[in-house]
Amino acid sequence: MAVENAVAESGPTIRIVGFLCNWCSYGGADTAGVCRFKQPTDLRIIRIPCTGRMDPLFAAKALINGADGVLVSGCHPRDCHYAVGNFYARRRLEVLKHFLPFMGIDERRFHYTWVSASEGQRWQEVVTRFSEEIHSLGPNPGVDSHGLKA
Amino acid sequence: MKELRQAVEAQWPNLEVMIGWGWGFDLLHGRPLFVRKIEEVAGLVWNPFCVQNLTGYLAKIPAVQAEDKAKKIGVCVRGCDSRSLVALIQEKLVSREQLMVFGLPCQGTVDWRRLAAHSPLVGVKSARIEGERLLVEDSRTIREFTLDQVLARRCLRCTHPNPVVYDVLIGEQVAPRATSLDRYRDVERVEALDVGGRLAFWREALDRCIRCYACRNACPLCICQDRCIAETRDPKWLSQYMGLPEKFLFHFIHALHLAGRCTECGECERVCPMEIPVTLMKEKLGRIVGDLMGYEAGLDPEATPPLLTFNPAETGV
Repeated sequence: MAVENAVAESGPTIRIVGFLCNWCSYGGADTAGVCRFKQPTDLRIIRIPCTGRMDPLFAAKALINGADGVLVSGCHPRDCHYAVGNFYARRRLEVLKHFLPFMGIDERRFHYTWVSASEGQRWQEVVTRFSEEIHSLGPNPGVDSHGLKA
Repeated sequence: MKELRQAVEAQWPNLEVMIGWGWGFDLLHGRPLFVRKIEEVAGLVWNPFCVQNLTGYLAKIPAVQAEDKAKKIGVCVRGCDSRSLVALIQEKLVSREQLMVFGLPCQGTVDWRRLAAHSPLVGVKSARIEGERLLVEDSRTIREFTLDQVLARRCLRCTHPNPVVYDVLIGEQVAPRATSLDRYRDVERVEALDVGGRLAFWREALDRCIRCYACRNACPLCICQDRCIAETRDPKWLSQYMGLPEKFLFHFIHALHLAGRCTECGECERVCPMEIPVTLMKEKLGRIVGDLMGYEAGLDPEATPPLLTFNPAETGV
């Protein structure tokens, strides 16, 4: 699929939280920046030491409190800087992805993937596609219509 | 009941303390009983009103300990409790060698809230299960209820009424009330809604939550206790704010920390003062873990819970 180098800027403000592994995807996002690939501006990146650090509750808390999307990205399986962190993460995140819709949170708002430090192009694709998906879903209604994000 | 007392008396020389059930404030309520002297064995009871899962007392501080290490701790377990015990053994939270497990095949326990909803009962003189009926004799008459009317939801979906670990088995094995196919009926009822409908369902249910944390406190596997992240200030996951996001997040914490560990014993739901179907979330997680990793919690003491391990060969997950 050809990826457009720009994302429409109209529409409501969308906030996506990205949890990126320090060793791979954070570097991949940096590579994309250094290569001057255009990226959507909706993503707020949080750097984590490894996807093994990624508590599924981070994603749950973000979505419950009204983040519009959560993107987790780490080293490809078998490429983990700490050998096995992403293997644990893969199971936890997959369980979360199946659990969210049961609680009434659209599972399309949560995505996890693997991007290595050299894959700037792939990072651009991943983030663009996810951002478009969230734009098409619109703002997250949140669990509480009278809550923090009224 | 007699058989249980006799078995405990026969084992008493090896036991320092025995955890079982005794009579509560009336015949429709059992309560946990800690037997430390042989004379107290007569207080042990076993009936459909013995509802508490006693295995939590083995792992949660102050855990029941045998001071004389040569002696053992006796504990009564039903089928569901035995699975909690297996989960505790798997995670090395209790040591199997220290325990003398009295297994009790269980026909189901009565949910007194359902019973009371059917008819007011005054001055109960006796209550017993005969076949598929519960007979309650009160000061006026004998009332009959079908088990479907009065059993707890966890018992209606029970697939393991017989203990999976025990040293002494008391009574005959009984047939399970549900199959592995129909035990998820309640989960499927929620899944039949669309995503907005499910959110509305949980909003309505969790709006009632008063965050008393009884569900967490009753859970035999929630062993963090004072260090539970729902209450620590650092990290501060939850505030005092009493809106729905905090309630949702609390239940996410409770449920996700039990993913792949929860044996669906139903204690959280039994103790909920607001009658929130708390176990439903764990049932769904149990099903996810079963589908993705082919694992059922609390059956094999040698197994590792799936989220505490990994498999590099998996690709779909």
